[in-house]
Amino acid sequence: MTTQQQTGQEKAPVQEQVVGPVEMSLRQDGRSRMAGNTQAFLRKHAPFNKMQPDALQHFAEKAQIVFYAAGNEIVGPDSGKVRFFYLIESGKVQARQAGEVTVTEYSILSLGVGESFPIGAVTAGRPSTNRYTAVEDTFCYQLPAEDFLVLLTSSPEFNLFCTRYIASLLDQSRRQLQLQFSQRASEQQTLNSPLAGIGSRSPITVSPETPLRAALETMSKAGVGSLVVAGDDRKAVGVFTRTDLLDRVVLAELPLTTPVGQAMSPNPFIIEEHATAYDAMFAMATHGIRHVLVTDAEGRLTGVVSERDLFSLQRVGLRQIRQSIDSAHNVEALQQAAADVRQLSFNMLAQGVGAEQLTQFISALNDALTRRVIQLNLENHNFDGIEWAWLAFGSEGRDEQTFSTDQDNGIVFAPPEGAAVDTLKQRFLAYALDVNNNLDRVGFPLCKGNIMASNPQWCLTLEEWKDQFGTWIRMPQPDALLNATIFFDFRALYGKSELADAMRRHLLALTASNPMFLRAMAKNALDVEPPLGKIRDFLTDLEPGHPGKIDLKKYGSRIFVDVARIYAMASGVHNTNSIQRLRLAAQRLSIRSDEINAVLEGLNFIQLLRLQHQYLEGEPGTQGDNLIDPDTLNELDRRILKESFRQARKIQARLKLDYQVQ
Amino acid sequence: MLGLKKFLFRGSAQANLPDDVRASLELWRASKSPPLDDLHFHTRYVVVDIVSSGPNPDSDQLLGIAASSVWKGAIQPDDTFYVDFSTLDGEGSTVDRELTAFLLFAAKAPLVTYHIPYVGGFLQRAFKERLGVDFQPQWVDLAWLLPSMFEDKGDTVMPLDHWLEVFGLEAGMGRRDAMVNTLLLARIFQMTTVRAVGKQVDTATHLIDESRASSFLRRNH
Repeated sequence: MTTQQQTGQEKAPVQEQVVGPVEMSLRQDGRSRMAGNTQAFLRKHAPFNKMQPDALQHFAEKAQIVFYAAGNEIVGPDSGKVRFFYLIESGKVQARQAGEVTVTEYSILSLGVGESFPIGAVTAGRPSTNRYTAVEDTFCYQLPAEDFLVLLTSSPEFNLFCTRYIASLLDQSRRQLQLQFSQRASEQQTLNSPLAGIGSRSPITVSPETPLRAALETMSKAGVGSLVVAGDDRKAVGVFTRTDLLDRVVLAELPLTTPVGQAMSPNPFIIEEHATAYDAMFAMATHGIRHVLVTDAEGRLTGVVSERDLFSLQRVGLRQIRQSIDSAHNVEALQQAAADVRQLSFNMLAQGVGAEQLTQFISALNDALTRRVIQLNLENHNFDGIEWAWLAFGSEGRDEQTFSTDQDNGIVFAPPEGAAVDTLKQRFLAYALDVNNNLDRVGFPLCKGNIMASNPQWCLTLEEWKDQFGTWIRMPQPDALLNATIFFDFRALYGKSELADAMRRHLLALTASNPMFLRAMAKNALDVEPPLGKIRDFLTDLEPGHPGKIDLKKYGSRIFVDVARIYAMASGVHNTNSIQRLRLAAQRLSIRSDEINAVLEGLNFIQLLRLQHQYLEGEPGTQGDNLIDPDTLNELDRRILKESFRQARKIQARLKLDYQVQ
Repeated sequence: MLGLKKFLFRGSAQANLPDDVRASLELWRASKSPPLDDLHFHTRYVVVDIVSSGPNPDSDQLLGIAASSVWKGAIQPDDTFYVDFSTLDGEGSTVDRELTAFLLFAAKAPLVTYHIPYVGGFLQRAFKERLGVDFQPQWVDLAWLLPSMFEDKGDTVMPLDHWLEVFGLEAGMGRRDAMVNTLLLARIFQMTTVRAVGKQVDTATHLIDESRASSFLRRNH
């Protein structure tokens, strides 16, 4: 007894050491048993059934079980940063797009047993964009976000599953982005257009005295579901539709000899042709009708607008714009055409045209506009007998114009034997000044850096241009390298394009014999890195005047463009467009096509985002910028943007390796 | 008088208890009961089921306890407990320590089970005989509570398997492991608390009262 007591006294605070560990061990037993129970479920569902035992064990030991009664929200945009990854054990959950902008293909999606959510949000550590609601009594396993992230790094199978899932969303997101544009486009076009230009111009009419049989035959022959009943004065007195046929003829047992006037719906809804599509839409919505009769000021029928017409309005056509540009006789007419270009580009964006085609298309129409301005000014300036060309530089030179592009241009000319070069140059400068000012009025702002043909520095003879290129290449000072990024992306917009070809051949010959120059270009191109954060997704404090924003041009597209230029020059590619440059250079340098395609996708997405930003967020009539706040992007766009920046980093890494830049 | 009481109720059992067990029991006794007037979400409930050698708490043996907590709406894997006495063959101090460990685990939380006379009966006898503890926790009995909460699904006291079927819970075939059973009870309890809130039974106190009242009403009417 004594011994026992002494032992007890010695180990007085001992219970922590004895009962405590027993409790810990029995808790561990409980956890293992519960985990075993959870694992039995996991083994029946992908991707868990493919996961390694220790990863599965980790999931099972951390996953809590929660219950949501039918109708209750599980997680949504207002729940803040997502704290759990959910896996449905039983029941059914509905995912619904929150907010006005749809991110994914579906607006409502039903999730069942073995499916999980919200994968994108929990991976990115953001609030969910979807609202997840239990539609049946539902049990879920909920894995805390931190354990989810551990699993992402420790289980390749789980990682692959989530990555693939997100990748499929990225694709959907891109398509939705276009959809979003098309919605806006159709609204914009329909609502303010006068009814005079919409719908059927020659509606089928019959007089009130027409017997029903004849009226029905007319409907049948014309393949229409309704007739307008109007007198000889073309004033509508009623409408006869298929519904009327059933209600007022068949069920009322009217003989087919009855005049249609007795069976029609009288007092049709009439609207004047100066009213807008919006008014018609409003009337249809208010009165629950599908057709609106359109009349002139005297009340005579001029047309019928159906619900369907309002949604398929004629869009501004490419051909019309080209015609109006080519036939414009003054700057004012071109201003209107420029506005149409912008509208048409936007419509194309809405119709799902990708960034690559779209930027080329904008460039093509801007080229036409610019050419017309150049031509119009030639009426006041005569250069007969002189070989010259108008050059486009920078984004215009690369066919990569977005909605906001200022002027970057120059002139190359070949003075005839014995001509006074200076006098000729003065004439070109005077001409260029007029062109530059007119371009500004048409919507291409003057270049802040004065890279314009009216600047004597950039109005040069062919020989001067060759010398200029030679100087930059032989002495790659910072200024020279900066100029190279603008002036080496040139093409002839008007005039003798052979002059530009000669410049290009000279340029490529020079770069081939000066490997140090490309290395210096490479070093320069690596100065700016994509704004990927180590902790946060993005670095948003790189632009001093714009905290919280990312310059998509400076830290995005320009990285691709710079790399493309170097590889193009290194492999003798004549093209100036970055995508063409990268594609062609990749072939010549044996870069794998899937690798280059991923890079091009990245560039295209950034360009698309720039276009979207410039159009949707730019104030009407002002130049949009390239500054986006990543926090305002939806979660999926953020992820695509991040992936696009990763591609930028990847191609920079390749450049670094190829040119041995430290 | 005091000595006699001690002798009768806990003295005899406690006299032979290892010191660490005795110290733990003192700690447990001195510990405060958690408040029962918080919302279900904030209340830690301990769902418990047992394994026994037969149906009679007075003569059959308690062979195991499986418990898990329901807390913040979730069944928490980090807060579960499982003990199997069947292999110990009644080996004294180990059983005492394990029973004490259960008390520490439960920490005076309200206990949820299916059919108190069975589960409570075995636990009470074990704690009395082994530790000299008069085990009187706050009980919630799902067997009585379910018919009053889910009158649309069954208005009499039914075997657990019937409820599992009614709720569409997959119970598996054959004899269930005590932990599996506890986890099924815990799921049913989660459903019950949601239903209870809809009936303004939104705290542990209310739930315990409701459990008592329904068992009283059904037994007497």
